[in-house]
Amino acid sequence: MNTVLKVSCVVALMAAFAVPESAKGAVFYLRAGETNLAMPDGQVIRVWGFARDTSLALNDGTITVPGPALEIPIGDPNLTIHLKNHLPNLNGAPVPVSIIIPGLTAALNPVRHVNGRVRSFTHESFPGTPGTYSWNDVKPGTYLYHSGTHPALQVQMGLYGSLTKNFSTGEAYAGKIFDREVVLFYSELDPALHSAVALDDYGPGKSVTSTVHYAPKYFLINGSPFSGAASPLPAGSVGEKVLVRFYNAGLKSHAPLLQGAFMKVIAEDGRAYRYPRERYSFLLPAGKTMDALVEFRSAGQYAIYDRMMALTTGAGLPGGFLAFLAVSAAP
Amino acid sequence: MKPLAIVVFALFAVSMNAGVCEAAIQGRTGTEFDLVARAGHITTGDGDSILMWGYAVGNGLMQYPGPTLIVNEGDLITVRLKNELSEPVSIIFPGQDGVLAIGGNSGLLTREAPPDGATVVTYTFVASQPGTYMYHSGTRVDFQVEMGLTGALIVRPSSGANRAYSHPQTSFDREYLFVLSEIDPTIHELVELGRRSEVDMSRYFPVLWFLNGRTSPDTMADDGAPWLPHQPYGCLPRLHPGEIILTRVIGGGRDLHPFHPHGNHLRIIGENGRLLESAPGAGPDLSYSDFTLTVVPGSTYDALFTWTGEKLGWDIYGHGPGDPLQPNEYAPDHGKPLPVQLPEKQNLMFGNHYSGSPFLGAFGDLPPGTGGMNASGGLFFMWHSHTEKEIVNNDIFPGGMMTMLIVEPPAVRIP
Repeated sequence: MNTVLKVSCVVALMAAFAVPESAKGAVFYLRAGETNLAMPDGQVIRVWGFARDTSLALNDGTITVPGPALEIPIGDPNLTIHLKNHLPNLNGAPVPVSIIIPGLTAALNPVRHVNGRVRSFTHESFPGTPGTYSWNDVKPGTYLYHSGTHPALQVQMGLYGSLTKNFSTGEAYAGKIFDREVVLFYSELDPALHSAVALDDYGPGKSVTSTVHYAPKYFLINGSPFSGAASPLPAGSVGEKVLVRFYNAGLKSHAPLLQGAFMKVIAEDGRAYRYPRERYSFLLPAGKTMDALVEFRSAGQYAIYDRMMALTTGAGLPGGFLAFLAVSAAP
Repeated sequence: MKPLAIVVFALFAVSMNAGVCEAAIQGRTGTEFDLVARAGHITTGDGDSILMWGYAVGNGLMQYPGPTLIVNEGDLITVRLKNELSEPVSIIFPGQDGVLAIGGNSGLLTREAPPDGATVVTYTFVASQPGTYMYHSGTRVDFQVEMGLTGALIVRPSSGANRAYSHPQTSFDREYLFVLSEIDPTIHELVELGRRSEVDMSRYFPVLWFLNGRTSPDTMADDGAPWLPHQPYGCLPRLHPGEIILTRVIGGGRDLHPFHPHGNHLRIIGENGRLLESAPGAGPDLSYSDFTLTVVPGSTYDALFTWTGEKLGWDIYGHGPGDPLQPNEYAPDHGKPLPVQLPEKQNLMFGNHYSGSPFLGAFGDLPPGTGGMNASGGLFFMWHSHTEKEIVNNDIFPGGMMTMLIVEPPAVRIP
């Protein structure tokens, strides 16, 4: 980087800091880094994830997969994410990272490899050089954010999370009132890739050269595969309107099926349907979000499982995309 | 065509000529059902014989899919299950609420029948809303549904016969069932060899695709064909011009199947056992028209289909202008000639379903050894998975998730 560019960057940064944060709407400080996830069968998987810090200077958040749930204040169309890059080097070089949010409009600045191929859908953050990502038209809805840099690798490694904005308090979209909220965030892990990345054995000339042989073995809801030890998710009480937000950050399609109750599917990709769709199951393709309202008619534990049968943990354990919603009796 | 396929098609032709097809959906009616989970072998179009687990009726054979349970809206349904297999099994009923399970042992999703051949688990529920549903094992669901423990459930509306739902705009003349599924034979081979513990469902790779538990061309054979004792349900929709058939489509496996009717679009009026309507009583005003229906595993679809030859631009009967109209004939094309001159026979190849004439109910001369699979002069339309690799039987074409719709001449009786 030449001196003129450096200076201009510093000026730009100073200019950004000079604006009071309150005037820019929601501001988040995210940090991409690595951590480990323990699977119910004893496997420990190296993943990349996001942490939410309180400032650019402090690294006081915890790296999680999925990343922190970002909530945009009601009525606020503006969003700024400052992204720090603490990812490990691969092949002796830093790994750039970025953030995109499908469904939110933003001016993107693609970055290309020297051979002209696109490497990143938008500008990148490097170790020591945070990037700033801004949106000014955030509509109420349920969204996924994820890395926009080498997404075939980085989304699979765990660089994703949820972003929500309500229309008003207790109102997801205009007229879509809810009393309780349940998050079902689906993602997948193929341990072969994670192992190769952890050992710096991924890339040209290494033992794993691409993500083309994707074969997920672990299916995570809110960051964990089902296990007998898992607690049911609280889903309010009988008669309440329960909003279930579905996210699929995996690379495959799935079909959540709610056993014993119907849902009113009210929105897809952060946009409300004109007419709700009454269903016990629906297709949840990769990268999609769906919102459903459920009014349970009796107390109990309701299973919700993937009807496309990602119901295994590793080779042998039952588990995977299975969760229970705990509904209590009407107060 | 390979010699094996010729033999199979010849068998099929014989069965067609026997003419014992059934238009109604075959199944078990009533309010109480005694099912036993047991093993048996199905046959597939590639000549394979595959171990399956399935639900049998009482002392009957294992069947794939399980018996289609046909019940009436509002009935209290009781299903009793015993288990002659080697691990616990159960039944869950997606789309039904308030299912009460008693007996047996507690399991993850419901109560389970232990593999002792004697313990009875009883499931009861009120079939509160009409529609097309399915039932399947709630135990190791990924593995046991693959093994065959699945079946269809049809709830008829109390408002009257020949309706899918209560609303009159859901009326039909005939109905047909399409349970779409697929299997990976290596899983079944491991189970048969006593190597159940080696089954890894994350390596699933299906190579056989089914309609109502049969691979094509067996899909087109009769219900209850004696050479398919474990696969009692055929899948051969037939209609007269202008009749409305209700197609009840079920995603019975674990993969998406884009189901493609030829001849006309499907009008999808219900999904997941619910009428597609904007408000209660509105009728299917949110219905939609598809020529490739996205069938999601675990979901069900009710679709109406009809065919008159409308807007073909020629008279499907080959009428002259002064001839009387046939029932439901598309009048604007009456008497219009076929707009092409048919080539000389020596310049043609003949498909098995060609009667020798392009006109409905008519026959023409065919060279010796050709045709033969069209006994009535009907018009044949292939219905199949639009994932074209699924219309094979373990790499042998044709086969798999494929059947024919037959538009029959008005004079031909469809049972």
